[in-house]
Amino acid sequence: MVVKIRLARFGRTNSPFYNIVVAHARTARNSHPLEVIGTYDPVPKADTYDKSGKLHKDIKLDVTRARYWVGVGAQPTDTVWRLLSLVGIIEPKHRTPPKFQPPPSAAPAAAQEV
Amino acid sequence: MPPRIRSSQALLLNGCSSPLLSSFTPSHTVAAAAGAAQTTRQCPPSQHTQTSYFSTTAPLELTRLRRDFETWLRTQGKRYRDPTPGEPCRYLGNTKQFSPKGKVFPLNPEFISQPVLSESAREKIWRSVMVDAQPLKAVSAKYSVDMRRVAAVLRLKAIEKQWEQEGKQMALPYAKSVLEMVPVNHLTPERPHEPINDIHVHGYTMQQIFLPTSESREFTRADAAKAFGEHILPVDQKMRIPELLAFEKDLVKGEERRTAEENFYEATTKSERDIADRELIKSQLEEKRKLRVDTDRFEFRFEQISVDKAGRKGRSRSAVGWRYGVPYNDRRRGVVKIPTSVE
Repeated sequence: MVVKIRLARFGRTNSPFYNIVVAHARTARNSHPLEVIGTYDPVPKADTYDKSGKLHKDIKLDVTRARYWVGVGAQPTDTVWRLLSLVGIIEPKHRTPPKFQPPPSAAPAAAQEV
Repeated sequence: MPPRIRSSQALLLNGCSSPLLSSFTPSHTVAAAAGAAQTTRQCPPSQHTQTSYFSTTAPLELTRLRRDFETWLRTQGKRYRDPTPGEPCRYLGNTKQFSPKGKVFPLNPEFISQPVLSESAREKIWRSVMVDAQPLKAVSAKYSVDMRRVAAVLRLKAIEKQWEQEGKQMALPYAKSVLEMVPVNHLTPERPHEPINDIHVHGYTMQQIFLPTSESREFTRADAAKAFGEHILPVDQKMRIPELLAFEKDLVKGEERRTAEENFYEATTKSERDIADRELIKSQLEEKRKLRVDTDRFEFRFEQISVDKAGRKGRSRSAVGWRYGVPYNDRRRGVVKIPTSVE
């Protein structure tokens, strides 16, 4: 049976909280997993004394175990793939396209012509 | 809709059908006419006191009670209306015997309020810690104010100063009147605010123990604590400011007070620095376990944990994440859910 690395939703209504688990693919979402390798809190939070407005998300992860499970063929779901790729355990599935930047000389030159 | 006529006025109009009276007659004329009619025809008198914007009835003149009250407000009651600052309590009743300071509720003489720190005292504490950079313990010992109270004063003062800077309006009249009611301490050296050496008495130390020891053995407070239980701390360690012990010992040894004070100041400074260092190392270790990945929208903070914490059966309390097969009592009734700490 396929072993997956996936999220199991806990928490309450409107305040999700996930366990990052290693489980058999056919088992129920919140059933007892093979192993809990971490948690993921999807609610972005602000630092108390930080006025910049930048938010952060807290993740706990046993990186060694995650590496091991990926090494023996466990298949991360898309969300977990994204998280694991942030730490560099696997290559990112979707590479974010580089942002479009207008060529530096074009805009001022056009403005001058008009 | 027909114009409404008040019942008593209607009665008046019906009872005394005088050609003078009409619904457009000004009210005082009505009253006068009614008075005249009363003498001659025994009409019920008008008894209005209420005047609405649509009513033409004049209000009655002040009643005697009302008049007396106004007179009282001008004479005896002036002190209640425009109080002199510094007067302890202003309550009606037995005004000859004003309640002394501390008795905030005159009807409950058993309740005596503890003195609170005055505005100047709080400013003094804030200045000595934040401006003169004195250690918290030294300030606490100097003014005989509990460490926790000193810390609370600092926190509140920080907010107060911030609000002042932001130009927020503060409820100063409220604070002023509350401080007038309760006894206030201005923190003078001759009047200590509160005892600062109180220690928590552990239940284990309340028992009587017969402990045979050899006569030659030196039995200290630490040994006594051990006798009560392995985890019981001796009194010297339970004090909030244990440096005061060394200070007193210095004095007993015959040191000059000035030297002893200097030693005490040094010791408290060192202890404060140690605590700060310990906290710094702790936060550095915590930071070391964290990996921050910045993306466009959020910063992802990965904390390295170990799955071994789950124990052999995987059900340990220290395991990471939501636990399986165990009730999570965060919404249980009767449990206080107010957070106990502020980040």
